[in-house]
Amino acid sequence: MVPAVVQSLATLQRGVDAEVVSVEGGGAIAVRLLEMGFVPGSHVSVVKAAPFGDPLEFCLRGYHVSLRKAEAARVKVTGVKVASP
Amino acid sequence: MTIAIAGNPNVGKTSLFNVLTGSRHSVGNYPGVTVERRFGKLAPRFGGETLVFVDLPGTYSLTVSSEDEAVAFRALTGADDQTLGTVLLVLDASNLARNLYLAFQVLELGVPTVVALNMVDVAERADLAVDSAALAKALGVAVVPTNARTGEGVAALLEALRTASSAPAPQPLQPGADATAWRDSAAMFDNVADAVRGRWLIAAIATGQLELARPSEDERIALADLELDTAMRATSQIVTARYQRVDKILGQLGYAEKIRGTAPAMSASARIDKVLTHRIWGLVAFVGVMSVVFVAIFSWADPVMGLIEFAVGWLGQQVANGLGPGLFTDLLKDGVISGVGNVLVFVPQIALLFLFLGLLEDSGYLARAAFLLDRLMSRLGLHGRAFIPLLSGYACSIPAIMSTRTISNVKDRMVTILMIPYMSCSARLPIYALVIGALFVSTDPWISDGVDRGLILLAMYALSTVSALAMGYLYKRTILVSPTPPLVLELPPYRMPRLGNTLLVVYDKTKAFVRDAGTVILAFTIVLWAVLSFPRDATGAGGEGPTRVADSYGGRAAQLMEPALKPIGQDWRIGVGILASFAAREVMVSSLGLVYGMEADEDDPVELRRALREDVDEATGKKRHTPLSGLALMVFFVYACQCMSTLAVVKRETGGWKWPAFMFFSMTAIAYVAALLVFQIGRLLGYG
Repeated sequence: MVPAVVQSLATLQRGVDAEVVSVEGGGAIAVRLLEMGFVPGSHVSVVKAAPFGDPLEFCLRGYHVSLRKAEAARVKVTGVKVASP
Repeated sequence: MTIAIAGNPNVGKTSLFNVLTGSRHSVGNYPGVTVERRFGKLAPRFGGETLVFVDLPGTYSLTVSSEDEAVAFRALTGADDQTLGTVLLVLDASNLARNLYLAFQVLELGVPTVVALNMVDVAERADLAVDSAALAKALGVAVVPTNARTGEGVAALLEALRTASSAPAPQPLQPGADATAWRDSAAMFDNVADAVRGRWLIAAIATGQLELARPSEDERIALADLELDTAMRATSQIVTARYQRVDKILGQLGYAEKIRGTAPAMSASARIDKVLTHRIWGLVAFVGVMSVVFVAIFSWADPVMGLIEFAVGWLGQQVANGLGPGLFTDLLKDGVISGVGNVLVFVPQIALLFLFLGLLEDSGYLARAAFLLDRLMSRLGLHGRAFIPLLSGYACSIPAIMSTRTISNVKDRMVTILMIPYMSCSARLPIYALVIGALFVSTDPWISDGVDRGLILLAMYALSTVSALAMGYLYKRTILVSPTPPLVLELPPYRMPRLGNTLLVVYDKTKAFVRDAGTVILAFTIVLWAVLSFPRDATGAGGEGPTRVADSYGGRAAQLMEPALKPIGQDWRIGVGILASFAAREVMVSSLGLVYGMEADEDDPVELRRALREDVDEATGKKRHTPLSGLALMVFFVYACQCMSTLAVVKRETGGWKWPAFMFFSMTAIAYVAALLVFQIGRLLGYG
């Protein structure tokens, strides 16, 4: 078991199955992130980055959603385990 | 009884609406906003009841954060003018882990609700099938499995709607022991609002959109002391509590473990995306898709537009022959009938663009296009979704401006609308072609033999593109300042697009254009006709020659304006063309033809090109039109908003004359200054 280190979703490596810890900050975007399912305990992983490196595509709650790095940075996660390739 | 259809985007809500109403519906706007409101009666084949369906905007949540959610929220809480009967909540069976969040928001309201568990076929294929009876038990309302594409389950759904009239008990969500911010905020409402409404108002404060929730005076006073930070923490606790409920149900249904860290409904789409959103192949594919769309628009719309123009011309001629010469005939032929023609001529491009955009949206590809190009658009301060409307501006500003409705932020939508007319639309092409063909001949010393005319044309397109981007950058930072909108974009599974649904959208868009913008365009055409035909020829000969146009109010105005036209290298003849081309840019060719006293073929005006090239000023013996004056004229047309139809559509989309007036005057001013710079600097450098 990898020790749970809190990091930002924007820097999450591919292939890591992470768990949402919190959404930082306030305003409409923070509420939207929560309502799209970035609530504590949800599993999230990185699918890919767009051609110019931003935005990123994530797999969350059985669907795919794209966030810019700026928004993803608000989501704090802990890496749970390295998913089998 | 009114039944409101609510649900997330991409769950087949509109398909279900089309099935239930038999595709017969009317489209309007919600009062004061540009959100479309579609409603229709139950199709006769389902029995002759007076059920009325309202298709609410697709939203992920009812929390008031933009106009879409505000419309759905007000409709479902009865704040709307219409009395609400039952809510038909459409859930995507293959995406329950997120869809159930909205479900709980709706259920908390305590209005009669029936759930359509849609896309059961997709869920089955992804091994995500759920027991609808178990889900119904967990939610406390009827759940009917449906497939909106085949119409499966619709009869059972109607049966459930007919018996669902009694309201279920509201399912209030109680703050847990540790949700102190929520408790504290909710306590502020004790005397003014019930717990459910209070919860929405707290969330609306957290999103900064309290006004959209339309609070009462008492509620405003009660909320005055609520701190933003507390509202945010309370909202976070409320959302988390709802998702805990969702997760509990997903656990009971055996759904939770199937989606942990994976998206079974996306497995096929993820394989397709390996190409379509690949960092190289994705861009190649995008260019390919858009090329096909544009080639199709140009090659399919052109013959139909030609046919419309021919039909209008023929009809005008028939009327003229039938009535004989006279003022009334001219009004009918050159005012009314050409006005109708000026409206109808846009229909092919509008229809085709919305056909392609509709099919691409329905397939799930437009979301990928926004994903691919968001980086470029976010540098301007816009959302990836703004890219397609801008690109569509190369075909025609009219449908491009109409398609900006996908941009939810009002200011960003406005920035995009203001940028679109700078994109060189297809109607500018005949003008570029006329000028380049007339004045840029290889024997001219101004250009060397090797320079291709195509390069000049390309330069005009480059200038227009760079200018559109620059203006967007400028507007976003001056008159329409707002932060770059966040991107929270669902990438839905790819689906086979349905032509039927898309054709309905095409029909709605075309009808709205003809009805709302058509009257303005017709009125403009008649005014313009009057300006160019009055005062009447005193001799009564009714000659069609240059004298008549020169003597018209328009012609006289152009002659009076000549001191202003000279510095940009033009004379009053071109001035008349500029004035007349306000009806439609391509009219420039035929009106210049009138000025030079010839029938100019719009597609290949050989005679007119020669006349322009060889036109000599008697007084000085110099040529009136040079490559430099031609370049100045083209630059003028790159920038000038010489299109009344664009202004009519902007008026329709923004609900007033303020923005169209701004657009017209700012673009004309920029066009004049740019043409002035080109001509004067060119002269200083010794050209012309």
